[in-house]
Amino acid sequence: MKTSMQEKQWAEKYPDLGTAPLPAEPYISDEFFALERDLVFYRNWIIAGRVDEIPEAGDYFVRDVAICKASILVVRGSDGVVRSFHNVCSHRSNKLALDKRGSCAGGMYCHFHNWLYSDKGALLRVPDEENFFDFDKRDHGLKPVLTDTCAGFVFIHLHPEPAETLHDYLGGISDRLNDQHFHEMALMQTYGVTESANWKVGLDAQNELYHFPFQHRWISGDSLLMNDKKQCRYRDVTLYNYHSAWSCEYDPVSKPTPLKAALFKMNKKTRTSRLPRMIGDTELFTLFPNFEIVVMRVGGVMTSYLTYQFWPLTVDSTLWEIRIHFRKPQTARELLQQEYYKCITRDTLQEDTASHETVHKGLVSRANSHMILQDNEIAIRHFHKVLQDRVGLHLN
Amino acid sequence: MESASAEPALPLPFEDLAPFLDWALETERARIEKKVTASMGEVRSFYDAMMPRLKEILDYLESCFDQEMPPPDRRLFLLSLSLVEVSSLVELYRQRESIEACDPLRFLQF
Repeated sequence: MKTSMQEKQWAEKYPDLGTAPLPAEPYISDEFFALERDLVFYRNWIIAGRVDEIPEAGDYFVRDVAICKASILVVRGSDGVVRSFHNVCSHRSNKLALDKRGSCAGGMYCHFHNWLYSDKGALLRVPDEENFFDFDKRDHGLKPVLTDTCAGFVFIHLHPEPAETLHDYLGGISDRLNDQHFHEMALMQTYGVTESANWKVGLDAQNELYHFPFQHRWISGDSLLMNDKKQCRYRDVTLYNYHSAWSCEYDPVSKPTPLKAALFKMNKKTRTSRLPRMIGDTELFTLFPNFEIVVMRVGGVMTSYLTYQFWPLTVDSTLWEIRIHFRKPQTARELLQQEYYKCITRDTLQEDTASHETVHKGLVSRANSHMILQDNEIAIRHFHKVLQDRVGLHLN
Repeated sequence: MESASAEPALPLPFEDLAPFLDWALETERARIEKKVTASMGEVRSFYDAMMPRLKEILDYLESCFDQEMPPPDRRLFLLSLSLVEVSSLVELYRQRESIEACDPLRFLQF
């Protein structure tokens, strides 16, 4: 599909979303933040990580969901099944796994009184068990957390009675995710930055292209396909029940830097990648509430993907977790090509963090009661409609 | 005698890059710290020394890729990582004043 450069095409495709400005209150209101905790993070399927983080039986990682004060242990059992539990000992509520990841093949001990649990969460052994009262180990396994997977992503649901299965929650976007080749990629780098901004400020900024040629004008602003007014356009926008996907094309004739040209063996005279097999495109999936996946392709083949996760800490602060995945490099040249993309991506995102924080400062000043969105920001509009629906508070 | 048998700092064909060995840094954090504390002149000198040798470096590293590298090869590899690290500053921003970004070390929280 070719990118159409016309204006206002997405509001036309999704007229129900309207075109009105959106309220600024959800970014700065303590009351709204409390509703997000209770009705969004506690009652939606959220991504905890990936199955390929825990390939072997007994492998585990810990996912903190700070807004719900929860620490979740995600573990692959000896039967191969990925399960999640509250990372809390059943005895006196001590934190069980103290590391972020590891292996508990053979069992996991609580450091407080040496209670031992299996990799399936069962309580196996209690020192001085005879000294407890009416005690049956079978009643005191780890507290399970609902867990399911799609396309290799591990989803958890903190409330024990979900309104929907993961399949229903994802709806049509699950087929799009399953079409991707995430399992062929390996995690290269994880970044984390604690931002002085509401969690939605960064999520919104990554969910639109409009800022790209401006904010990132030095580092990467000319890399996307633009119209004759130097504006980016989406190739496609698809809105699902709670989630969204959009795609865009890279500019096939954007001029590479000397290092990029050398690393990628680009034609020295034209310094371009006009060959169709080298033309890139990218696709961004937003999975409500706090997850974004950026898929990069060259000639239609996935070369890498990024994931962004915005973890609310307080109404004014957020942990932004960034993971960069590539195919395992086969040559030194490929490794340096990946390092190049990693550094450019990281530097670009550091510009984003700076503006997330200056935007948040502007929001808390209450100078603007609303924000005005254009057609390239339709995915933000959709996200906020879903959010207001979920918290049951419709602000004008 | 000891100096005669001492290992060279870099593989023989790249010994002329020895003045830039302070860029042979193991961690991303160290490479970023070096980038942000070096003068723009030092960054450019390093970039200008490395770029004409890149093809040769890549050809050389191909033979030892994906295995335990002897220390001289490892240093050459680390120099090439630092070249990538500084490239956006030299080629795109061109001057530090163009950068409107957060402190890069803030990203290394994990």
